[in-house]
Amino acid sequence: MSTAVSGSTDAVPMASQRRVRDVSRLMPLALLAPGIVVIGLGLVWPIAAMLAVSLQDKFPDATRVTLEHYGTVLSDPYFLRIIGRTFALATVVTVIAALVGYPVAWYLARSNSRWKHLVFLGVIAPLMVSIIVRMIGWTIILGNEGLINAVLRALGAIDEPLRLMQGFWSVVLGLVHILLPFMILSIAAVLGKIDRSYAEAANILGANPVRTFLSVTLPLSVQGIASGSVIVFCISVGVFVTPIMLGRGQVAVLAITIQEQMVVLVDWPTGAAAAMVLTAGTLVVLGLYGMFIRRHARR
Amino acid sequence: MTASPPRPGERLLAGYVGLVLLFLALPVLIVIPLAFSTDASLIFPPRGFSLKWFANILERPEFASAFRVSATVAVVATSISLVVGTLAALAFVRYRFPGRDTLLLVFMTPLIFPAIVLAAALALVLSPLGLLRSIAGLVCAHVVLTLPYMLRTAIATLSEIDRSLEEAAQTLGANRWRTFRHVTLPLLRPGLLAGITFSLIISFDEFTVSMFLVGPGLMTLPLEMYNYSEFTLDPTLAAISTILLGLTTIAIVVIEKLVGLGRQFS
Repeated sequence: MSTAVSGSTDAVPMASQRRVRDVSRLMPLALLAPGIVVIGLGLVWPIAAMLAVSLQDKFPDATRVTLEHYGTVLSDPYFLRIIGRTFALATVVTVIAALVGYPVAWYLARSNSRWKHLVFLGVIAPLMVSIIVRMIGWTIILGNEGLINAVLRALGAIDEPLRLMQGFWSVVLGLVHILLPFMILSIAAVLGKIDRSYAEAANILGANPVRTFLSVTLPLSVQGIASGSVIVFCISVGVFVTPIMLGRGQVAVLAITIQEQMVVLVDWPTGAAAAMVLTAGTLVVLGLYGMFIRRHARR
Repeated sequence: MTASPPRPGERLLAGYVGLVLLFLALPVLIVIPLAFSTDASLIFPPRGFSLKWFANILERPEFASAFRVSATVAVVATSISLVVGTLAALAFVRYRFPGRDTLLLVFMTPLIFPAIVLAAALALVLSPLGLLRSIAGLVCAHVVLTLPYMLRTAIATLSEIDRSLEEAAQTLGANRWRTFRHVTLPLLRPGLLAGITFSLIISFDEFTVSMFLVGPGLMTLPLEMYNYSEFTLDPTLAAISTILLGLTTIAIVVIEKLVGLGRQFS
């Protein structure tokens, strides 16, 4: 019924009105056309081409379609270890960033301090510094003759320099440094919008500050933690520079393996299959986030 | 509420925030003293004072040529992103159409899409077109990567423009183009300038995607620095980093003066 009614009102506009409406209907398409071309040719087409390569037996000169490369990537212990390490690394980085970042986000959202703007600048500015510069900075701090070893030696705590530069945790440190600002800004954006009267009400009703935080403010800010986590996790799984520069070849992650498969071994189909597995992992995380947001909005 | 003296909890929080800021700033700022060291390796604390590492940059033509490539790509890609992003932002802010939210999500995807996958995929399609190891290929990739930043800034700025100003211009007889040219564009200018600065930085610093598209004879500065670090870890890289930090500081001041840095991220 209702469609019939709206249909009939749509059918009667005067000719001039219809012309205006047709123009305004075409206008967004015209404005979006260049962007659709860029995203279509620069994102959708390349990814589709990559998907196609991952299903070929050989590249170039494919003879048949096959899933064998996915079989290799998902069953070979070498690949499985790397996939496990990649997602573990991203998870650890995300959790640490959330824990370390939350209080800073709280400060940005709630403090009345005159330093607040400076803190804001201090959080954002590192985002604009070249990643290579930051990796060199970490090398200076963690190196055998770096800052930490110099301080420890001056304090007499060590005789031999600690080998801080190779391994999982130096990569974690470097990634947390790069991605922490994204987490802080995501949480602060949500914390800033929470009505403070909820917390005040809990206080008046006798809840202590810890209880108020755990049962009122934290649940309300979960959305900020979730969106920050998605950004941090998705960037972490695809990262290349940090593991290679701070891991010194000891921390093989998917990004490094994909690059090796394609550039060094020139085995594009296997590399492409690994890349698609990485993409699928990212999409699953994004899908979970979408479901979470929808459920959260309904409450 | 505002006038109360800081409670111990607040002081503790402020102290903690200070520590986190130190963690964020230290790896960035530590390159500056090392750039003036006389030692040939990255030893802390630096000894002596010399400008020889800055001189070394000038003696190695590959750094200057990589800088030129990075700057050219950043400027061309940003110019294209600017036009494409502003037009798309007008559609997203001013019109409601089916699939709007989905399309906006797709336009923003390069922000979180695994860089390594996009890198390999772009190399795959650019190679048969003969665009591998070319400025044009790098520009194509960097337009995709900078578009979300430009779009986000343009959307934020456009949403805040008072539409009654445009309506007033149209009532006074200005057509769509004249209204855009003389009313909308001047109001957009500070936001767009901030977006431009941001996009220049993103493009100039890009590493992973460029890695698949460069080769002998065509290098961007971050990749040239990485290649150098593979063989020599001397303060030359700290010196280049110090110059880049100077340029970044100028960019931050520009954005801060124009729109406030915080607006870029809210």
